[in-house]
Amino acid sequence: MSSSSTITTTNCYHCGEKCVEDELISDEKSFCCAGCKTVFEILNNYDLCTYYELDEAAGNTVPNGIERKRFDYLKDEEVIEKLIDFRNGTTVSASFYIPNIHCPSCIWLLENLQNIDEGILSGKVNFLKRKVTFVYNSTSTSLRNIVELLSTIGYEPNLKLGQLESDQREVKDRRLWLKLGVAGFCFGNIMLFSFPEYLNLDQSVSSNSFKIFFGTLNIVLALPVLLYSSVDYLKSAWAALSQKGINLDVPISIGIIALFGRSLYEILSGTGSGYFDSFTGFIFFLLIGKIVQQKTFEQLSFNRDYKSYLPISVIKISEDKELSVPVDKLEIGDQVTIRNQELIPADAVLVSEETQIDYSFITGESEPVLIEKGTLAFAGGKVIGTQSDFVISKKVEHSYLTQLWENEAFKGEDKKISVTSFADRISPYFTIIVIGIALLSLAIWLQIEPSKAFTIFSAVLIVACPCALALSTPFTLGSTLNILSQNGLFVRSTSVLESLSNTDTITFDKTGTITESGNTKIDFVGSTLSADELRFISSSCRTSTHPLSKTIYKELNTKSLLAPDDIHEVPGKGLFANFGNTSLWVGSQNFLIEQTDLSYSDFPDSSESGSVVHICIDNKYKGYFRFENNLREGIGSLLAKLSGSYSTFLLSGDNEKESSRLVGLFPNRKSMLFNQSPIQKLNFIENLKQQGKEVLMIGDGLNDAGALKTSSFGIAISDDTSAFSPACDAIAEGDSIKNLDTYLSFSKAAFKVILFSFGISLCYNLVGLGFAVTGHLSPLVAAILMPLSSVTIMAFTYSVTRVIAYRMGLRIWE
Amino acid sequence: MSMDTFHYDNKIVRNFGIAAMTFGIIGFIVGLIIALKLIFPDFLGFIPELSYGRLRPLHTNAVIFAFAGNAIFYGVYYSLPRLCKAPMWSPVLSQIHFWGWQLIILSAVLTLPFGITTSKEYAELEWPIDIAITIIWVVFGVNMIMTIMKRREKHLYVAIWFYIATFVTVAVLHLVNSFEVPATLLKSYPIYAGVQDALVQWWYGHNAVAFFLTTPFLGIMYYFIPKAANRPIFSYRLSIVHFWSLIFIYIWAGPHHLLYTSLPGWAQALGTVFSLMLIAPSWGGMLNGLLTLRGAWDKVREDPVLKFLVVGVTAYGMVTFEGPMLSIANVNAIAHYSDYIVGHVHNGALMWNGGLTFAMLYYITPKIYKTKLHSVKLANIHFWFATLGAIFYVIPMYWGGITQSLMWKQFTADGFLQYPNFLETVVQIIPMYALRAFGGALFIVGAIFGVYNILKTAMNGSLVDQEEAQAPALVQTGEESGGHWHRKLEGKPLKFTVLVVISILIGGIVEYMPTALIDSNIPTIESVKPYTPLEIEGRDIYIAEGCNNCHSQMIRPFRSETERYGEYSKAGEFVYDHPHLWGSKRTGPDLHRIGGKYPDSWHLRHMYDPNSTSPGSIMPAYPWMLEKEIDEESIPNRINALRTVGVPYADGYEKLAIRDLRAQAEQITNGLRENGFSSVEGIEITSDKQIIAMIAYLQRLGVDISGTKDPFEGLPSNARMGANIKEN
Amino acid sequence: MGVIVVLIAFSLTVALGFLAAFFWAVKSGQFDDPETPSIRMLFDDKISSTNKNKHKKS
Repeated sequence: MSSSSTITTTNCYHCGEKCVEDELISDEKSFCCAGCKTVFEILNNYDLCTYYELDEAAGNTVPNGIERKRFDYLKDEEVIEKLIDFRNGTTVSASFYIPNIHCPSCIWLLENLQNIDEGILSGKVNFLKRKVTFVYNSTSTSLRNIVELLSTIGYEPNLKLGQLESDQREVKDRRLWLKLGVAGFCFGNIMLFSFPEYLNLDQSVSSNSFKIFFGTLNIVLALPVLLYSSVDYLKSAWAALSQKGINLDVPISIGIIALFGRSLYEILSGTGSGYFDSFTGFIFFLLIGKIVQQKTFEQLSFNRDYKSYLPISVIKISEDKELSVPVDKLEIGDQVTIRNQELIPADAVLVSEETQIDYSFITGESEPVLIEKGTLAFAGGKVIGTQSDFVISKKVEHSYLTQLWENEAFKGEDKKISVTSFADRISPYFTIIVIGIALLSLAIWLQIEPSKAFTIFSAVLIVACPCALALSTPFTLGSTLNILSQNGLFVRSTSVLESLSNTDTITFDKTGTITESGNTKIDFVGSTLSADELRFISSSCRTSTHPLSKTIYKELNTKSLLAPDDIHEVPGKGLFANFGNTSLWVGSQNFLIEQTDLSYSDFPDSSESGSVVHICIDNKYKGYFRFENNLREGIGSLLAKLSGSYSTFLLSGDNEKESSRLVGLFPNRKSMLFNQSPIQKLNFIENLKQQGKEVLMIGDGLNDAGALKTSSFGIAISDDTSAFSPACDAIAEGDSIKNLDTYLSFSKAAFKVILFSFGISLCYNLVGLGFAVTGHLSPLVAAILMPLSSVTIMAFTYSVTRVIAYRMGLRIWE
Repeated sequence: MSMDTFHYDNKIVRNFGIAAMTFGIIGFIVGLIIALKLIFPDFLGFIPELSYGRLRPLHTNAVIFAFAGNAIFYGVYYSLPRLCKAPMWSPVLSQIHFWGWQLIILSAVLTLPFGITTSKEYAELEWPIDIAITIIWVVFGVNMIMTIMKRREKHLYVAIWFYIATFVTVAVLHLVNSFEVPATLLKSYPIYAGVQDALVQWWYGHNAVAFFLTTPFLGIMYYFIPKAANRPIFSYRLSIVHFWSLIFIYIWAGPHHLLYTSLPGWAQALGTVFSLMLIAPSWGGMLNGLLTLRGAWDKVREDPVLKFLVVGVTAYGMVTFEGPMLSIANVNAIAHYSDYIVGHVHNGALMWNGGLTFAMLYYITPKIYKTKLHSVKLANIHFWFATLGAIFYVIPMYWGGITQSLMWKQFTADGFLQYPNFLETVVQIIPMYALRAFGGALFIVGAIFGVYNILKTAMNGSLVDQEEAQAPALVQTGEESGGHWHRKLEGKPLKFTVLVVISILIGGIVEYMPTALIDSNIPTIESVKPYTPLEIEGRDIYIAEGCNNCHSQMIRPFRSETERYGEYSKAGEFVYDHPHLWGSKRTGPDLHRIGGKYPDSWHLRHMYDPNSTSPGSIMPAYPWMLEKEIDEESIPNRINALRTVGVPYADGYEKLAIRDLRAQAEQITNGLRENGFSSVEGIEITSDKQIIAMIAYLQRLGVDISGTKDPFEGLPSNARMGANIKEN
Repeated sequence: MGVIVVLIAFSLTVALGFLAAFFWAVKSGQFDDPETPSIRMLFDDKISSTNKNKHKKS
């Protein structure tokens, strides 16, 4: 580090961060750090600078120096096999999830890496999923080289233990689209060939031959729709019946068969033109519904377990040699080195002198704890400060974190899907009524005019086909899902919306949920500091990795910084720095007492709720910084609003010190629980559910994972939706949570909309029935009624949901 | 091995660009000429080659196939290789394609003004050229498909889909519409007659617009709007849906061009319904294009490329809304045959096709010449000229069209036509014609600025005729095999059904084809007889002179039309019309019932100088008909050809045909002499002149239905010999 | 009006061709990523390693 104390405001050519005193220059461009400079030099060297032309300062800030051995484990064939998508001789394809992908430049660069690594055959980015797939030649390069390259240029892939377990290859099911394609194609043409009939072509001889021609064509075109497009419905109906159950697909299938059979008969017998257009159109719309319903947010992933948090490998030290091994190969007794900001993969005993561990992941407790040599550290803890060595005391799968997961709550398979449950519930009655009417009219007509009886019987079955009915749910929920996502709440799938709408109890996690992690405000208590002193403080804090020093640096946000002439940090305690003839101590009370000639008496007896950092300059006590987690903006009013119609609880892993601030937000102290272990949280929610409550849980970190999973509907808050979030039903962007009440009432409204559209479609069915039982259901009537009803429902649900959303003040358009 | 280096052929792009500009200007100017001829009928004097009827097809062909055509290839040859990251497959084919296409255009210039035409709109070129077109089109297709095969980018960008659709569909359309039987080297008769011919013609005509003037330009839009605005298309998903829905609907909208004709009612309605359905995809596409620029309007303000694109796409939106509206029967009843349609198509042609083409020129030229546009200012001036020109063109046409058509339908209180004399309705809108010509002139001036600007730009830079590019080779990973297991599951029933469909289809087609082609299921009318040799000659002159460009032969079943022209036209009356001459525009009155309406002498004088019989008429004079001679020796071939396509001339009649022709000609000439028309203005009238044949044909039009006399009566070969209906 | 049969035959065959194309496209994953291609088409492929200083601008 050069220590020329320059005052500068240039921005890094690579990442756009503002360059501070140690500005680096290469090729007349300035860089904020060696990392960025290196990247630029690589790109420049391989002539990939278009990267910078596409977007200004496209780069990502790069952690200085990436040691090669970190990726040693990628030599392990087993690991490779698990990571790659597939192998074809020497051609291998592997996909990585790279959170850093953020702009067109990223796409361009990642797809042009062959310029750097000859072995790469092609790179393809999926921008939405922030995924890049490389095809490479395993003889001329290796997975490890690629990952290393990616990391050096600031696109470190997110390799987590999870990937080793579940095989990544998602087989894309595109059949639905094919089915839709077939249905659409046949629908269009059959409409074309049915038209002449409706406009009943002149009664000449010629038109008769046309009748036959069009008829045959229609049959031919309707076949694929029956045999291919509609087959899922028939299957599912059959499955239901064979279990003596009735789902919505039963009446649908009845309709399908009636439509097809009747049409076939009419055409072959030459008694009519059949209803093939209604039939195919009906399938076409149903499939559209299905597709809408299956809408998911590919770019987000909702079911991650703890393995997605653990690193894929650690540095293991055996006879003083460091080699990186996949964590699932760790044995009890292995000694491992965990670096700053890395997770401890398995419960392990500290062998270094002491270190700081941030358990916020598992406990939610935001403040790092200091542990001495010999103490047991739990898996999932994050090492803060210097790297430290541990001896594994439990295998990964037996560690505390894992135990948490072994809890039956997690075993429980996914919450039962209730997609059309709404419709399914009524479908038995529906079916029975329909068949009833059909038989009745059959009976009656057998008396009046036997010849027509069966025509009418089938007609009833045809019109009663609940097409619109089947569309109401998917379309309403589909557009609800859309609207919510536009407002920052990404729900896993339409199937879980119902449980959201039924919520009556809401439990909040504290840290990161109602308080905004990252946004801690500090204020200084004591004699006011001079501008220079502030500069000293922030300059020295900048070099530290401790969260508190980081906050200080961030909050003071001094324009020009200085490079200390001398600085050294005692991890987790404090730091000492020297600027010219000024010496500065920043740290805990004990640290200052040890290091300076201050004594306890010099310190104010602080009864601070939050944590504090004391400042001492030239052996004079200056005062202390006080830290407080800010509440999320708008959370107060939200809780106020909610408390009216829902019972709200706080489940915090944190200590009670902040409870004072939270009083008033929640109904009473009883509804605020502190020091909750993940298991306790989980059980608490279990109880609520026992009492028949529909519990909505909102949390962030892994410590809430259990709760989120047990709850009826779990929302994981994350300020970067693409970042990891625990298993949940929905992911919410941090600032969107303040509208939770609106989302709830909106989802409730959505189900009212469904009910209403049910009404509408039933009306259509009734009208149709009217035609049918009286024997007036001409193909034309059917052909008009069917699409009309479907389109009405689509239009109705789409517009009404949006109107409601608009009324509720939600965004309905990007 | 990692990176392939290859070269984009910019030279061919440049050439197509030049061709587009050159033929564009020519086409526009021809357009202006005929526009002026409608105001000053004597403009450019009485040169047959420059008469309205012959230049009008030249204009349409020039702008559609020469201007728009070359523009399409310009866009495709630039964008396709860049989207595929591969040069055009074969430079040789590129060359063949380029020069072949220009030759075809040249041949159009060398045939149409000389009266060598099939009279089918947008398919006027005669059979040898049709064949040439087919070959060159296939060359283009092969070159394109192979390029796509050899691509280095796995994904086919949506524009490519539109290009493919263009190639495939146009190929089929051209083929189906060009089934014709040659009579001589430069004369052929379509195998379809009357109603059938009309249906095929407009199925083609509409889809020519759809797949030659729309889909390729949509592809161009999807490439150049994002490029010019440097931002991705508004919704790529939507663009994909746009393509597939468009493809499956467009092909069926054709019949709306034949509303109220003798086409079966249901076929007409079909056209209407599918045209209406078209609004959805079309507007989807337009919005997708425009929304791409949301938040970038500041760019639009500066950049002429974007300006042209925006106006072009907007025009597309207008036209695709108008189209379906015009296909609604009641609207069509008013707009059809009127100048409204002319306005409608020019709205699309000038702004959508023209606009996008100039946008491309302004975008590509600087790129391939590695320089900046010579003058943005001039380009903006061009833009305003073009836009104003279009407005001055379109609005008067709409206005005039509606005015005239309402006058046609205007009845007096006591139930007579308000304007029984067609001429009144023409004179009424001549000012509109003048405005239109003005608009057109503006557009041309703009275009000339544009061309100058482009040339300057080219001169400022230097052509990178082989632009080097690099891309990784497309690696054939067995990725799809990842999905194999489910393919196996669903593959079988699927493939099965698909096969079933295809096989049954083919079966059905094979079964129906013969019936389809032989008996044309048209209610035949006993009294309708084939044309006599002289009438055939007359009819072919009618075609050669392009009378059908201004005169329809299809009286719609409206009182206003039966009052004016006589009994409405029946499908059965056209069974011997190879090709049909229904026409699509009534600059002059309908002629289907002209037969017997006026004496021969009237026609003689009218043809020689329309104003002598109808003062104020804007119909061009045809003095040369009194001098040019009837083409006798090809008569036998023509009889044979017509027999091949199903006109029931008795075998061997071709030998007697010439005698019949002379006899009938003599009769007419004598008739004229008796009425004191042995000569007009010193030109002696002899039986071997074209005018005689023309008169014979006109007098025959629409009389058969009355069944008063057999046309062959009194001809050397008696009636039975002439045409024996029973035989077929 | 037998010609209609001809037209239908041709149109239907064309349409079937496109249907087949649709199948190919969907199966070969053409439409799996409905976002990136629209961005990717914006890059014009520059030649690397040839006269570098060309890129030293901006």
